[in-house]
Amino acid sequence: MDPSQTVREGLLQLLPRLRRLARALAGQAADADDLVQIVLERALARAAQWRPDAALDKWVFAIARNAWRDELRARGRSQNLFAPEEAGTTAADGASAPAQTLDLAAAMTTLPPDHREVVALVLVEGLSYSEAAMLLEVPVGTVTSRLARARATLQAHLGKDT
Amino acid sequence: MKPIDDDTLQAYADGELDAAASARIDAALAHDEILARRVRQARALRAQLRAAFDPVLDEPVPARLSARLRPASPPAAGTAVLRPMPAARRGLAGPRQRPARRRWVPGAAIAASVALLAMALWWRQDGGLIRMHDGQRFAAGTLSQALDRGLASRPDPHAPIAIGLSFRSKDGSICRTFTERTRPAMAGLACHAPAGWSLAALEPAEKPAGGPWRQAASSLPAAVQAAVDARIKGEAFDARQERAARDAGWR
Repeated sequence: MDPSQTVREGLLQLLPRLRRLARALAGQAADADDLVQIVLERALARAAQWRPDAALDKWVFAIARNAWRDELRARGRSQNLFAPEEAGTTAADGASAPAQTLDLAAAMTTLPPDHREVVALVLVEGLSYSEAAMLLEVPVGTVTSRLARARATLQAHLGKDT
Repeated sequence: MKPIDDDTLQAYADGELDAAASARIDAALAHDEILARRVRQARALRAQLRAAFDPVLDEPVPARLSARLRPASPPAAGTAVLRPMPAARRGLAGPRQRPARRRWVPGAAIAASVALLAMALWWRQDGGLIRMHDGQRFAAGTLSQALDRGLASRPDPHAPIAIGLSFRSKDGSICRTFTERTRPAMAGLACHAPAGWSLAALEPAEKPAGGPWRQAASSLPAAVQAAVDARIKGEAFDARQERAARDAGWR
């Protein structure tokens, strides 16, 4: 099969996870799907660079993370893609979502990008520390310490006893 | 024993430690409630994050995203206007230009074509069991032959189509139900008309649990059964009436 066809079919399978990652990074559903669209364009354009011995999900997640960073830069808001109060009303869709879910999604948008991407990759997507470190091109120790600090911030948002 | 730092405790909570290191934390947790609580917090936060974002996995994927990955969509659909290459107009287009000639299919049209997939497969597979005439669907090929000749009272187990009920409808025409024996099986109702067997209903068939396909009358899809109920006048034909109707050319 031609490699771009393999990538195309793999991306179709990965779409739900890619949307979940994008939601954890970008917050709002509409922005997250815009991000996914950008990721798909880039992944298809670079399909020839993907080697079948590399896991497609990590390859695509790396593209997603870089695309998200590019978007942040383009918007000129290096800390937060959205103001927390704006994100608080829209970060999680659906009026029936538990209050804590809304809180947590809102709290995610207050994390600095370095922390948010580690939380999204490890705690939401389930990558190991070393997989996240490889994807982010930082040492494992950096992933660990960012994750610990991000956890402390999120837990402070949720209250003491969680 | 070395004190346990935050990073190590977190790595333990996330299942990142090897067996030996894990065992050391296990031992420490057993008599340190504060440490144990921090591990529970770390795991609870992870679970809460999953609870917050996992529902995205079950959301329908917007058509604009999935359509981008369908083979039929051109590589640049949605972001660029495709213009025919001059070479393509001169008939010199290589394989790389071919996608430009494909039409961009909007999401609604894709949804509609998914709904029609079963029927489309059926049409293709049998090389035309349906023909269109004056905007109506008529039986063709082996379906038309089965309706013309088949008798429910003398079923042919090798025929691709099983005939179910035959009856006279309220408008005077003779109608017959049928079920395909091979998958993807379709079942339907056809009524005899001057132009042939007009298809009044056509639905994917459900195989009765453990039963053979030829029990077509009892296993008709609800929509086909409803079409029968709406048309039937009196009772369905018995074997003698069915044969007589055939010999009279279904008039």
